[in-house]
Amino acid sequence: MQQVQEQSPEATLGQYVPVGSAEYNAILTFMYEEAALLDQLRLNEWGQRLATDLIYTAPLRHTRLNSDHAKSFVRTVQHFHDDYRSVMGRILRLSGKSAWAEDPPSRTRRLVTNLLVRETSNADEFEVTSYVLLTRSRFSEHHVDVISCERQDLIRREADGGFKLARREILLDQSVLGTANLAVFL
Amino acid sequence: MLTKTSPVLSDGTKISDLIYPDTREVQMRVLSDPEIYELEMEKIFGKTWVLLGHESEIPNANDFMVRDIGGDSVIVARDKNDEIHVTLNVCPHRGMRVALTDCGNAQIHKCIYHGWAFRPNGDFIGSPVKRECMHGTILPESELGLKKARSITYGGLIFATWNIDGPSFEEFLGDAKWYYDILFQRTDKGMEVLGPPQRFIVNANWKTAGEQSAADGFHTLTLHRWLGEVGNYAKKGAAEPDSDEPDLTPEMYGVEVSSPHGHALRCIDLARKIRRLTGLEPDELSIQEKLNALPPAGMTKDMVEQLARNLSEDQLKVLTSMPPQVGGMFPNILFGFVYIPQPDGSVVGSMTMHTYIPRGPNKLEFCNWIFAEKDAPQELREKMLKQTIQLFGTSGMVEQDDSDTWPHMTLSAKGAMGRHMTLKYQAVYETGKPDGWPGPGIVNEGFTKDDTQWHWWLYWNELMHAE
Repeated sequence: MQQVQEQSPEATLGQYVPVGSAEYNAILTFMYEEAALLDQLRLNEWGQRLATDLIYTAPLRHTRLNSDHAKSFVRTVQHFHDDYRSVMGRILRLSGKSAWAEDPPSRTRRLVTNLLVRETSNADEFEVTSYVLLTRSRFSEHHVDVISCERQDLIRREADGGFKLARREILLDQSVLGTANLAVFL
Repeated sequence: MLTKTSPVLSDGTKISDLIYPDTREVQMRVLSDPEIYELEMEKIFGKTWVLLGHESEIPNANDFMVRDIGGDSVIVARDKNDEIHVTLNVCPHRGMRVALTDCGNAQIHKCIYHGWAFRPNGDFIGSPVKRECMHGTILPESELGLKKARSITYGGLIFATWNIDGPSFEEFLGDAKWYYDILFQRTDKGMEVLGPPQRFIVNANWKTAGEQSAADGFHTLTLHRWLGEVGNYAKKGAAEPDSDEPDLTPEMYGVEVSSPHGHALRCIDLARKIRRLTGLEPDELSIQEKLNALPPAGMTKDMVEQLARNLSEDQLKVLTSMPPQVGGMFPNILFGFVYIPQPDGSVVGSMTMHTYIPRGPNKLEFCNWIFAEKDAPQELREKMLKQTIQLFGTSGMVEQDDSDTWPHMTLSAKGAMGRHMTLKYQAVYETGKPDGWPGPGIVNEGFTKDDTQWHWWLYWNELMHAE
């Protein structure tokens, strides 16, 4: 978590929501459901869980010396640099007739773990960190592409008690990604 | 002079057996054969100029970045005199990589293995315990530095080659330079990167991407059909008849420039874009009025006055009628300087370049730089950055489909039958230069054809046969 603090010094980190508490479990369920929707190609349903002020990014990673660790996250050019409108545009394309990068679609598993939830100054918003291992199988290739990352999310509780994803930063581990494109969401 | 001896593969096949000039075909074996790949590392990537990045990536003295010339890692460093040097990232002592990070700032590059140290220009500084002289006295210190490549910058782009006595960069570009200047040398201050490049691996031979970059227009119609279905070209302007069928064919008209050195540019007709995006009639506009109505991709109205200072009248004519928008530089570079219509009716340019770094017969590294003019206002830079990331490179909605295609071609080229099949470049121009076309080079007009890509292969063939 040290690293996270260095990333966003302006953020005042709140108390952890205890692992196993009702609030934690509700957010964990939201994350599991989200992974299932994406793995089951239910992209429009996933899109309904996105806040309209969504910011969705994936910094580049660089190999840097330990003393320059913070510089290993590059937030100028990124792999994803999206907002609600552009993510919905991606869903529209992927739902169309000619999105060959995902048609036939990859078979994916999003293994979501190490979930930590913090309170924020807004009672309805939570800073949520999770680790994700995405396996991506395409065509008859027996090797799967593996993408590992940490996600730093802002999850917002809506008036109806449900949650929406308001911000997601995907901290990838590879400096050179080992998959031919990010036509899949993380 | 180039000596024409065709290299012979271990089964007796000559390289010249794999390319058929009469019918404009290339045997697919060239996309998978490991022997051919090794020959390419010497005869192509060991000989031509190779793009490594942009000087704005290493703005300060002693900044460096690690890049690749074919299979060789190189250090690209700026010294305290502001000169850029490219050196082999191999310690001349025992072969360890000297620079182990992607980039950084270092006055001294010291090998972590035995401690030999080098300046940013590659010169040998010394080895530890000076009085014991670890490096001996057999070779002079002047021969113990990092191996130096020959490098130049062009529009801030850094190119290097191991071909120390070979053609100059200008000779390498040849007639195509006249067109590249329209892209890379058009403004007073020049362009800069918006950040380091995206990098990712595609399990495909580098030439699947390389030959496509030599201005393959046709693939857009099918592979990128979504652009006409749900993308930026799906909404038709008032001037155009409504149709349910996506029609990307208007984008296929223009002028294509190819080169005896395998360079290629698609200069796409701008008249339709001007009509569609501005409502003005381009035939009634002067060059200056056209520039103001629809500034070149990546520029604003405020910036267009710079163009006349940097380009000739003839270049401005091309820029405002058939601007180069996509194409490549031999052997492994793609450029895209494209106009992206926005939902609000405005236009945001995208300026991008890729290299496809060979990583073995079946693997390439896709390296994507995103640019803006140094003078571009912050708001435009931010829009260009987002727009380009959303359409091109790692997650780009256009290029996702390309990177999913090249691996299949590479697999096809491995089959005992498949490798004897051919790539065909038989859509042949019969038009030639349009009347009054002011630019040099091999120029053809009309609907896109295969000539530019065929010329790419002819230069590949020429280099593979050269000594």
